[in-house]
Amino acid sequence: MVNVLNYEDINLKCGLEIHRQLNTSHKLFCGCSTNMIEKKPITEIKRKLHPVASELGEVDVAAQYEFLRNRQFNYQVFHGENCLVECDEEPIHLLNQEALEIALQVALLFNCIIPEEIHIMRKTVIDGSNTSAFQRTMVIGLNGFIEYKGKKIEILHVSLEEDAAGLVEEKNGSVTYRLNRLSIPLVEIGTGLIVGYSPEEIQNIAYTIGMICRSTGKVKRGIGTIRQDVNVSIKGGQRVEIKGVQELGLLSKVIELEVQRQLSLPRVEKETRAALPDGTTKFTRPLPGAARMYPETDIPPFKIEKTFIQKIKKNLPEPWDKKLIRFKEELKLSYDLANQILRSDYLDLFESLTKKFKINPSVIANVFVSTLKDLKKRENISVENLIDEDFEKLFELLETGKLVKESIPDILSYKVKNPEIAMTEIIKKIGLEAISKEELTKIVNDTLEKNKGQPLNKIIGIVMSKVRGRIKSEEVAEIVKKEFEKVY
Amino acid sequence: MYSKNIEKVLKEKRIRVGDRIKLVKNKKTFEGILMPRIEMGDLNCLIIKLDNGYNIGIGFERGVELEKIRTEWQISGKKVKEVESITFDKKLPTISIIGTGGTIASKIDYRTGGVYASFSAKDIVTQIPELKEIANIRAKQIMNILSEDMTPDRWREIARAVVKEINSGVSGLIITHGTDTLHYTAAALSFMLRDLPIPVALVGAQRSSDRGSSDTVMNVACAANFVVNSDVAEVCTVMHGSIEDNYCLAIRGTKVRKIHTSRRDAFKPVNELPIARINWIDKKIEIMNENYRKRNSKKVKVDDKIETKVAIIKCYPGLEPEILDYYLKKKYKGFIIEATGLGNTPTLGKHSLLPKIEKVVKSGVPVVITSQCIYGRVHPFVYRPLRELTKRGVIFAEDMLPETAYVKLMWVLGHTKKMNQIKEMMLTNYAGETNKRIETGEFSIW
Repeated sequence: MVNVLNYEDINLKCGLEIHRQLNTSHKLFCGCSTNMIEKKPITEIKRKLHPVASELGEVDVAAQYEFLRNRQFNYQVFHGENCLVECDEEPIHLLNQEALEIALQVALLFNCIIPEEIHIMRKTVIDGSNTSAFQRTMVIGLNGFIEYKGKKIEILHVSLEEDAAGLVEEKNGSVTYRLNRLSIPLVEIGTGLIVGYSPEEIQNIAYTIGMICRSTGKVKRGIGTIRQDVNVSIKGGQRVEIKGVQELGLLSKVIELEVQRQLSLPRVEKETRAALPDGTTKFTRPLPGAARMYPETDIPPFKIEKTFIQKIKKNLPEPWDKKLIRFKEELKLSYDLANQILRSDYLDLFESLTKKFKINPSVIANVFVSTLKDLKKRENISVENLIDEDFEKLFELLETGKLVKESIPDILSYKVKNPEIAMTEIIKKIGLEAISKEELTKIVNDTLEKNKGQPLNKIIGIVMSKVRGRIKSEEVAEIVKKEFEKVY
Repeated sequence: MYSKNIEKVLKEKRIRVGDRIKLVKNKKTFEGILMPRIEMGDLNCLIIKLDNGYNIGIGFERGVELEKIRTEWQISGKKVKEVESITFDKKLPTISIIGTGGTIASKIDYRTGGVYASFSAKDIVTQIPELKEIANIRAKQIMNILSEDMTPDRWREIARAVVKEINSGVSGLIITHGTDTLHYTAAALSFMLRDLPIPVALVGAQRSSDRGSSDTVMNVACAANFVVNSDVAEVCTVMHGSIEDNYCLAIRGTKVRKIHTSRRDAFKPVNELPIARINWIDKKIEIMNENYRKRNSKKVKVDDKIETKVAIIKCYPGLEPEILDYYLKKKYKGFIIEATGLGNTPTLGKHSLLPKIEKVVKSGVPVVITSQCIYGRVHPFVYRPLRELTKRGVIFAEDMLPETAYVKLMWVLGHTKKMNQIKEMMLTNYAGETNKRIETGEFSIW
């Protein structure tokens, strides 16, 4: 649909809530890994949830009861990634200090005020996505702002919370969740009302918020590690909340479609909708009753000492606009490449690899911004399954001359399809073990012998087809030329 | 309560908990509802509920300005009117639920986070609606204490309340109880309630009832089913049999122990099988151990004479025998030794327990040997220390749990102080506390 709306005329107002998983060594309230690499659950736990009476009255309990009575929740448990805590079989441990520090960094980067005492809250959820029937969450910062196009965008709060369990399937009243995602630390950034901007600009604001989180170097990357909620209202309408936009690039489309949906309706109901992968949304059942938050009592509130804040302030990460300049000047990336890697999920890894290896940073950046995308497009394989260690090994082999950069796409493709095979083995297995000049010379001579009378370019072509990816192409050309001249 | 400093300022400004206030600190303004101070944390931090529901703590110091905007909530300690009895269907049997602590039903005040415990039959049924299909409910709270604060005198109080309820003609009885010492109370009631005609189920919860994942609902529902529909006239615990919400186990009160700090299935039978498995959804009751007392028409009696001066001594490397002198000085009347392995105690050098044990027994105070292994039976002869103990007149308590032996010795000493009678009673099976045979399947923690 061609979009010719004037968003100022319809008074488009949006609020954003951006969630980003933190890449901590363990979960928010226990020692479990946050990596989610296990494929098969070790067991499944069947549970029911029960209505809890509140002062809000019995009607509410009855509604909850009706909603829950025929629902069974199945929780998949993963080795190393779940313990009794996520199974709701053990009280939470003390708060993960690494996560707290990252969240404080984020809050300070958004110019927030930090409360002196942090109170962990329980937010009631009865969809089964948390085994305890509530999600733990805490405000780490409030009343902050960011600047966008010279104007301030209000940041209402930065919260630190536990992620919910991941939905596997729902059928016949039986809902299955993966518990490995449960309790991965998450920062939630909530903006004030954003008024006077187009959907495109709102998407850019979301992007800027994401980049600021990213600059800590401690947020996770990849599908499912980011989720955006957006609430949309237009002149004379109610606020509609859309939950779970997983791709940032979809945000402006979601807003545009929602505006069109609202314009097409005689009356807009206040409701919650879930974002679908194509940018459209579907109605989800709103929870009855008011926002339900009450204090966590298993562990006490904790004080944030001024000296602690000072220490974090001193070590705040480099702002992303400065990083862009540094990438261009120090790492000699082109403007486009610098910009792409900055937006890439692999930014943190890129930075650590450029520190570790003496390889030209452009080569490393290109692997992340183009090679992986090409592989995805061409072979439709899950390149996101490659882990940091895979790339480290890859560049180590490149640096030590065990492989040439031309072979990187083939090696990565093989690794994605055969994750259990070590990188060094892959090189041997698919004939990518880099060959020596002597071996190359022998191949060239054989080729010349078998193709007498053929022109130089043709010979280079034949040799290249035999050794592609095993040695630098410049070297191939050079040696063929040398040997060619010897013969003719 | 906030710090004196804060309370003073609040009073001056006529600000109360529940008021919407404006707070200015370092030129930054916060607005929200003043919350009651929870006891944990810094009493000098004001707790404010923001409009998004979150609480934050703002340090109170000189220069902080407070201003009342308006009264938002009237917060007062709520007293729920207790409804004691509720009949759904005259054809259904009636059961009693006796509360000793903790709650089955709770209401949360989402504004303050306060949890209001309720023990009214009405609120119990609101929380566990399926009870309506099982029985008519009488509910009565006779005490409200944490299970770690339970005392032998309170066991007697519970026993008397149970007898009163049974005599009123109920078909079954549920006692709700904190979990930590639930198995001691279970053992005590097993000895004190003589000629029990109906099932008595002790039920606790490992997740409190104010959360949606509480195990209370299934535990009470299964217990109600068990006390109405089974013919097991014993004191049993009825709690989760696994960490899933699928079935509960009814375990004999003298053979049960809490062996996990936090899991739902913390209670396990020791040296015997559970008496029954109670499925939650299809309500099927499956008897797993035929060795139980059947429902009958006898008249229940309380036999609650006990001697409370009994101590449990755990043997461990380095234990100094002098510890017994303290108890003797305090006129203790009986000892349970939580011995090692088959019932051994140290017998070498200054750590030997033998001289003291000999002295104790000679003075007419019984020494009962149990094992800290928990599972298995003690033996009077296999090793030399065991034979030395036997020679000195200790009582080997077969496969009895140390906790059960402790409760039983109190009860026995309430009846006699004569050593030969004590010994005879300790070795008489009154409430299924010992088994002559232990089968292979009766040790299966994992």
